[in-house]
Amino acid sequence: MGQSEKMEGQTTKRTKKRLYLIMLLGSVSLFVLFILYLSTGQVKLGFVESMQALVGYLGKLFSGGELTTSEFIVGEIRLPRAIAVIGVGIALSVAGAIMQAMIRNPLVDPYITGTSSGAAVAATVVMVIGFGITSSLLDFAVPIAAFVGAMAAFFFTMSLAEASGGRALNYVLAGIVTGTALSSVTTLLLTSFPTEVQDPLFWMFGSFNQIDWTKALLIILPSLVMCLIALLYARELNVILLGHEQSYQLGIDSRRLRRWMMVLAAMLTAVAVAFVGIIGFLGLIVPHICRIMVGSDHRLLLPASMIIGANVLLVADIICKTATGGELPVGAVIALVGAPFFGYLLVRKGREYAG
Amino acid sequence: MPAEGMLLRIEDVEFSYEAVHTLNGVRFEARPGEFLGLIGPNGSGKTTLLRCINGLLKPQKGAIYLEGSQVSKMKLSEIAKVCAGVPTDIPDDFNISVEEYVYLGRYPHVENIWWEEREDEEQVEHAIECFELDPLRRRKLFEVSSGEKERVLLAKAVVQEPKVLLVDEPSAHLDLKFKLEVMERLHELSRRGITVIVASHDINLLIKYCDRVIIMKNGGIVKCGSPEEVMTPELIRDVYEVEAVVVREDGELVAVPKRPLREGEKRCAPGKG
Repeated sequence: MGQSEKMEGQTTKRTKKRLYLIMLLGSVSLFVLFILYLSTGQVKLGFVESMQALVGYLGKLFSGGELTTSEFIVGEIRLPRAIAVIGVGIALSVAGAIMQAMIRNPLVDPYITGTSSGAAVAATVVMVIGFGITSSLLDFAVPIAAFVGAMAAFFFTMSLAEASGGRALNYVLAGIVTGTALSSVTTLLLTSFPTEVQDPLFWMFGSFNQIDWTKALLIILPSLVMCLIALLYARELNVILLGHEQSYQLGIDSRRLRRWMMVLAAMLTAVAVAFVGIIGFLGLIVPHICRIMVGSDHRLLLPASMIIGANVLLVADIICKTATGGELPVGAVIALVGAPFFGYLLVRKGREYAG
Repeated sequence: MPAEGMLLRIEDVEFSYEAVHTLNGVRFEARPGEFLGLIGPNGSGKTTLLRCINGLLKPQKGAIYLEGSQVSKMKLSEIAKVCAGVPTDIPDDFNISVEEYVYLGRYPHVENIWWEEREDEEQVEHAIECFELDPLRRRKLFEVSSGEKERVLLAKAVVQEPKVLLVDEPSAHLDLKFKLEVMERLHELSRRGITVIVASHDINLLIKYCDRVIIMKNGGIVKCGSPEEVMTPELIRDVYEVEAVVVREDGELVAVPKRPLREGEKRCAPGKG
């Protein structure tokens, strides 16, 4: 302790303090939202009641025993769903932050680069055409297809961007080309097979409706591991913001690093989109909100994006669950709430923030 | 045989972009603390040469040595500890503050995965003080003026603790006062032992401050020598295709361009490949 204090300067101390503060506040609000999340749904449970049910469920995980109704609802339905929401929130926000740094363009996110659309097309193809896959296998075939689609679309966008010059603008244009083309394919598929429309359409706007424990773990664990890898590269991401030539002069081969980091971002996107469908806008707004709050240093920005992303998506899904007249697609809710908020921030922070 | 005590040695470097020769057998050496000026018309190879020195481009022929090690065989992180570059401009679209930007210059020296150590902070504080950036440290890069920006760029380069500093067009967007100020600061750095190489279009500015001036044309060195040796109407005429007179004002040489040469008046400059 004494040793590390001696080695550390004032600025580092200040930065650390800000990091701890944002993580503390973010965690407290995440905890409150988490409990609120567990109490919302068709069966209304009180705050205390849902916490008791959670404790009871966790206790019986180890000791065994019959679950009560509320323990079952909280533990088997709402808890995995909450974990999936947190995982997706973390994954998409960090993917957005990485993409923005790597392409050096604050306008990109998993959606703009066409990655999400690639996942959507592949998943729709499997769902609509079916390939004779039985419904129990379909549950796994769809996420796998989405994953493959995301990676394929992403690599197509990257190749197109690099073939057309590799500047920041080329990535955006290539992403728009890829995304638009793939979205049209999805639309054509949906209109050609109208009887099957309900499922893929809902899926395309994102939903946590079908999450179980397996899916929740398949989302949260890879997301956390990949975010940890991204965190290890926080300082490199800072340098990359300066562009290829200046990064090179500081000792980083930015083209090589960029390739790896973009694969990481695409994988984060794929993991999220594969299980819950397209949730646009989150990967764009969360890093922006965090940049306004903590600045551009990725040592603050990435952890902040993780915690804020999880918070934002929890709120959005609570809104979806409590809507009267059936559950809402979470992607649409995020866009509806996020767009005006983002607009407000841009206007208020106007001069201060050039994003 | 290379001379003793040379920090930077460039041996017959050739570089071409898609069959067009941009560097054509360039060779020179630089001592520690030397202030070198690089002049020449657009497309003469100045920027390409700077990029070869810091390893950004790999010469197809010849070799560049930094402290005796061949640049093309060094790791990027090793080059970054010896050689820093001052770019023409800074990116201003990511909300980065002046202080954060200067800190990035420490990147090659920070050994921790995440946090800088006290020594890094001392270097940064020292540079912020030297370049009078204290009132600006919280400002965002897009909020600082051109003159201030140049000081920010230099501060970031200095915290990198380079032995060789490469500066490309430092005075491009600056008015007269700031042009002189930047050159004064670069001169000061060279007197502290850093080899400074400045590429610029401003002949008079380089002649005023540099120990040695290298004139380039068509990827080759036309002349390398002291300001007095280099600054002649004949050379300016050959290299820039401009009729000029050179006058001495208060002991300092000044080139005054008169008119561009007409077709038929032009001669072929030496060094052309």
